[in-house]
Amino acid sequence: MIEAHLPLTHLTVALPKGRVLSTALELLRQAGFPLSIPESSRQLRHFFEGVTVLELRNADVPVYVDLGVADLGVVGKDVLMEAERKVYEPLDLKFGACRIALIREQGASGPIRRVASKYPRVAARYLEERGINAEVIELGGNIELAALTGLADAVVDIVETGATLRANQLEEIEVIAYSSARLIVNRASLKLKAERIRPLIARLEGIVGG
Amino acid sequence: MRACYNPLEQSEAPLPIIPYGTRYVLPPEWEWREHLKHQIQSTLSSWGYAAVQTPALELFDPQHPQSELAFHLTDRDGTLLSLRSEYTAPVGRMLRADLLGHQYPLRVSYAGNVWLRGLESELGRLREFTQVGAELVGVSSAQADAELLELARDALESVGVRFRLEIADRSFLAALLSTSGLGHAELEHLSDIIERKATPELREALERYKVTSGLKADLLELPDLYGGIETLERARKIARTSEALESLEKLEQTVKLTGRDDFLFDLGMARRISYYTGFTFRAYTPDFGQPLLGGGRYDTGIPGAGFAIGLERVMSALGTPPALPRVQVLALDFASARFARAQGYRTELLHGSSVDEARLEAQARGPEFIAHGGVLERVNP
Repeated sequence: MIEAHLPLTHLTVALPKGRVLSTALELLRQAGFPLSIPESSRQLRHFFEGVTVLELRNADVPVYVDLGVADLGVVGKDVLMEAERKVYEPLDLKFGACRIALIREQGASGPIRRVASKYPRVAARYLEERGINAEVIELGGNIELAALTGLADAVVDIVETGATLRANQLEEIEVIAYSSARLIVNRASLKLKAERIRPLIARLEGIVGG
Repeated sequence: MRACYNPLEQSEAPLPIIPYGTRYVLPPEWEWREHLKHQIQSTLSSWGYAAVQTPALELFDPQHPQSELAFHLTDRDGTLLSLRSEYTAPVGRMLRADLLGHQYPLRVSYAGNVWLRGLESELGRLREFTQVGAELVGVSSAQADAELLELARDALESVGVRFRLEIADRSFLAALLSTSGLGHAELEHLSDIIERKATPELREALERYKVTSGLKADLLELPDLYGGIETLERARKIARTSEALESLEKLEQTVKLTGRDDFLFDLGMARRISYYTGFTFRAYTPDFGQPLLGGGRYDTGIPGAGFAIGLERVMSALGTPPALPRVQVLALDFASARFARAQGYRTELLHGSSVDEARLEAQARGPEFIAHGGVLERVNP
């Protein structure tokens, strides 16, 4: 067999911009990766010894990892549920906790015929499980407005503290799923680069607690 | 009167002009692709595998594991047809139709296009692609499994691609899960989680299903049951049933027969194409997310096992095609061109050029000779 590993196994890590990025970088540093990205950096790709970090939009992280352009990534379970990508999810990193919930205007009691969401697949799966015949409208942001303006009878969205809901006279009807940041790994990379990825998973697990 | 259809006429319609997920194959890629295909098939042939072809049009079969992903067409009498979406099932049907007689074991190979409607068209995933593969039918043994592993290795090595072979066997996991006493829906859910190696979710589900703590600890090992040959030893420690031990022993025996110890293993692989009943295997290549090759054993009816290589994936892993062989002679007339070709030169005809123009063109483009009046004239060193 022709040897399949490179001299120093290089890892490419996909991380979403924003809050997750800094927490994920901190965790990876603690796990022994020499990563430091200056706050002011406008680079989208950061090179370190043996590691490249890609800064991506949230929803793109599972795409890069599934297609093997990145070996591993950090992304919310909510995004993973929507992406339906074939990636390994070996570790709950236990930050960025939130829940995906069905939300309606306070006191709304009419039938649910239209549901707006940034998570159309999650919403459709949930409605099917509950036996609700409703159409799903995909929206990009401020989903709550759809319920307030009558664009939809309910929305499926993430809730962190619930403050936005209370401020807008909305209520959580049912929690669909709990989410937090996950470590995801490309299926071929986990196997071919096991000598670097397996210890990394173990160290991260030690840091966040199994 | 209707206007004549002219395929060269610029269409007014905006791009794309071919269906999503299909592509044109242009030079120099075509020649390279044919070369690689031939290389793999020659290797299969040198192991005694005889090439066959099945029709691209198949009768629709709702039992086919990929029937939901295949393209469907309607025949003129209303019969539903499918476009070939893989080779194992149609080759199996062909063998059952007794076209080759029953001189088992049968060794057959194939190469051709397959189509999947459902695929997202992305890196390494097309909706029309090429598979080259082999099937060893009529025998079920560790020896047969070992032959396919060695054949797969030889075939990939013949095209110079870097790879590692990984062996999996779902029966180990199935044997362990069956001791839990859980129902079908719960087991399906656990399989889904194990397939994603989602250990935190697995822990939560096992608690929810009130699985006993000893079995829970063992099942929690499954997502991590991958790696080199030592994986089999680790698996042995949690093998609770004779079926689980048997499947490990068969894998050990197979590997021993190949005389190699560089295989990867994953005993936590919970999903596979539904016709597989025994071991499965894949080939991974560095820095490419998709397996180059997939295969396994299907012992339903006539036992058999086989594998398919994704030719486009091999090409992606290898990189850019080598340049086309250059034209060596520019000829001004047919007789001179025939003469040059008879000498073994790759020869192109020039249309309406003078000898001087031909010399200039040769100097600009690089062919060594021009041919005119039945002689070769060297232009470039």
